[in-house]
Amino acid sequence: MTKTVLILSSMLLTSLGTAAANLPDGDEIARRINARDEGLSVVRDLTMRMTDRRGKSRTRETRGFRKYYGEDKRTVIFYLSPKNVKDTAFLTWDYADPERDDDQWLYLPAMRKVRRISASDRGDYFLGTDLTYEDIKLETRVSIRDYHRKTKGEDEVDGHPCYLLESTPVDAKTARELGYGKVEQCVDKEIWMTRRARFWDTKGKPLKTAYFRDIRKVQGIWTQHRIEVENHKTGHKTLFLFSHVDYQTPVSDKWFTRDALRRGL
Amino acid sequence: MTPAFSCLLLCGLLSAPALADEADISNFLNGHWGIGSDQGGTRFFELTWQPEARWRFDNGGRLTGITRLRWQTVAGMRPTDMERDSYSTASRPILTSDTSELELRELYYERGMGDWYLTLGKQQVVWGKTDGLKVLDVVDPQSFREFILEDFDQSRIPLWTLNAEYAIPDWMGGDWTLQLLWIPDQSYHALPKPGATFAFHSPRLVPRPPPGVGVRLNAPKRPDRLIRDSDIGLRLSGFVAGWDLSLNYLYQYDNRPALYQRPVSGPLPILEITPKYHRTHVIGGSFSRAFGDWVIRGEMGYFSNHYFLDSTPGADQGLAQSAELSYVLGMDWSGLANTFISAQLFQSWLPHYHAGITRPRLDTSLTLLLRRAFWNDTLTAELLWIANTRDGDGLLRPKLRYEWRDNLETWIGMDLFYGDRSGLYGQFDDNDRVTINVRYGF
Repeated sequence: MTKTVLILSSMLLTSLGTAAANLPDGDEIARRINARDEGLSVVRDLTMRMTDRRGKSRTRETRGFRKYYGEDKRTVIFYLSPKNVKDTAFLTWDYADPERDDDQWLYLPAMRKVRRISASDRGDYFLGTDLTYEDIKLETRVSIRDYHRKTKGEDEVDGHPCYLLESTPVDAKTARELGYGKVEQCVDKEIWMTRRARFWDTKGKPLKTAYFRDIRKVQGIWTQHRIEVENHKTGHKTLFLFSHVDYQTPVSDKWFTRDALRRGL
Repeated sequence: MTPAFSCLLLCGLLSAPALADEADISNFLNGHWGIGSDQGGTRFFELTWQPEARWRFDNGGRLTGITRLRWQTVAGMRPTDMERDSYSTASRPILTSDTSELELRELYYERGMGDWYLTLGKQQVVWGKTDGLKVLDVVDPQSFREFILEDFDQSRIPLWTLNAEYAIPDWMGGDWTLQLLWIPDQSYHALPKPGATFAFHSPRLVPRPPPGVGVRLNAPKRPDRLIRDSDIGLRLSGFVAGWDLSLNYLYQYDNRPALYQRPVSGPLPILEITPKYHRTHVIGGSFSRAFGDWVIRGEMGYFSNHYFLDSTPGADQGLAQSAELSYVLGMDWSGLANTFISAQLFQSWLPHYHAGITRPRLDTSLTLLLRRAFWNDTLTAELLWIANTRDGDGLLRPKLRYEWRDNLETWIGMDLFYGDRSGLYGQFDDNDRVTINVRYGF
């Protein structure tokens, strides 16, 4: 009997080992995610609805432009409403070179000045939302240099089978900068987009969960239209709704300048 | 500007012109209540309505109009407590009553044409990279109704300006913009009248007649030739190798009048003061760059011709002339989440100095700003400290801001002056106040 159990156990482990061996490794999943077509440029509207634990909501409406320059990327976001933050604008020049800090500028209409801001606060939350500046910058991609990755297995989100990708920061300093001790993503097996992401803080406690929904093709490019993020520590939630996504209309380089920030839409 | 014309503009801004293809209209209501922090009592109570409109046209052009109707009840802070002669007739706010004024803040048309971008009309032009203190931000004059307590966006006096910008991409290793300004609007700093809450008392700024001598303040002698007395500005700004840089030049009438003094003998001796504006060249530049958690920034301005009060017996009409070199070095730190710390060193130096000048040869001020956001940026705590190291006086401004709803925010703050009453900040030591503010946009 004991021998039979050992043999069965051995067969089961071998089977599981074979299944795990058949899964793509973490770096391969990350490569596939980053190899997705995001379009050379995009124009889109983004509504951010922020709700605190008492149910009080605030809504921000923005229009954003993003354009690749080789591996480098430039992104600009203009606030359209509410009136109190209207004309606020945020510009990032994101460099592929890991040794080079991003360049970032913020235009605050009350100051009437384009202000240079530090790009090192990538773990700070983006203008009151539950995603960080780094999350916003990466969009649907993942950072290769900041994490070690491994494939944990398989799962399913909203009926879509996916790989479980676990990422841990390469060192404590990076973890502090990012504000995360671990990230677990459920990556769609077919379209290589994250369907769900769970985040833990640097002390290993659950921090937040994000769901990426309403993913559909726009002009041939898989595009997320809804992101739901809940911060488990604060009870704060942010709903991101993308609309009027357009990858085909050419985006002028002039949008990605400090002058454009000041002049607004 | 006539009251009828202003009212017409106000009405016009509230209804989109038929020619516009798209209109965007906003309104802001602000309430400010100030209570004396020492002896209580209302120091100011003010309501402001600021309608703003922007129309977009098919050709890519935009027309922006902003007006401001302000109602202030407390004596010393009313519109009638401000000198009005420093405004040009085209920019002067309209007194609608003793307690209210209507001002066309901005009205400009802007349009990009290839590498050119033109902005024509009454507008704010802001130069420089400093917070709270000004070196290069002198293109537009300022109202000192609340000394430097009012937001610069509100205290800056927009001028009728032709503003042409020309983009120069990929030049000298960076992207550049050349800005040309022509400003035919002869408006200068608006100063409080003697007796107003924030009227200047410091001997640095205003003459002090000997005991028993009265003062007669004459109307200012101001430039009034539209073309010959206009200001001209040039700025080359760019981004090169991670640095934001600018070179600035301005040929303007100094926004601060020189206060000419003349004793008038008689049964009652009088010191007659006549403000007069003079030309100055301003040459300067600015920079900023991020290094990790830090941003360093700075600006410098050389003013070829400034006038200072001179207490030397026999001084030429109580004035001394000198160039002035001013600069600011600032460092911002954002190494801690949701926290912003900024410090600035401001210095001003007079190359042609003598002991009778009522300000020091080298004047130094320091500023420190601490700001932290809580609850997903709905609550912000802030402390601003400005100190003059020479006179040992300064200003402390703690503030707590809360965003109740998308369009409704309130803040409570304190403005605490301290130091010798002859100093720039200490002169307002009696004006300490607690402020309660509400802002609603719709």
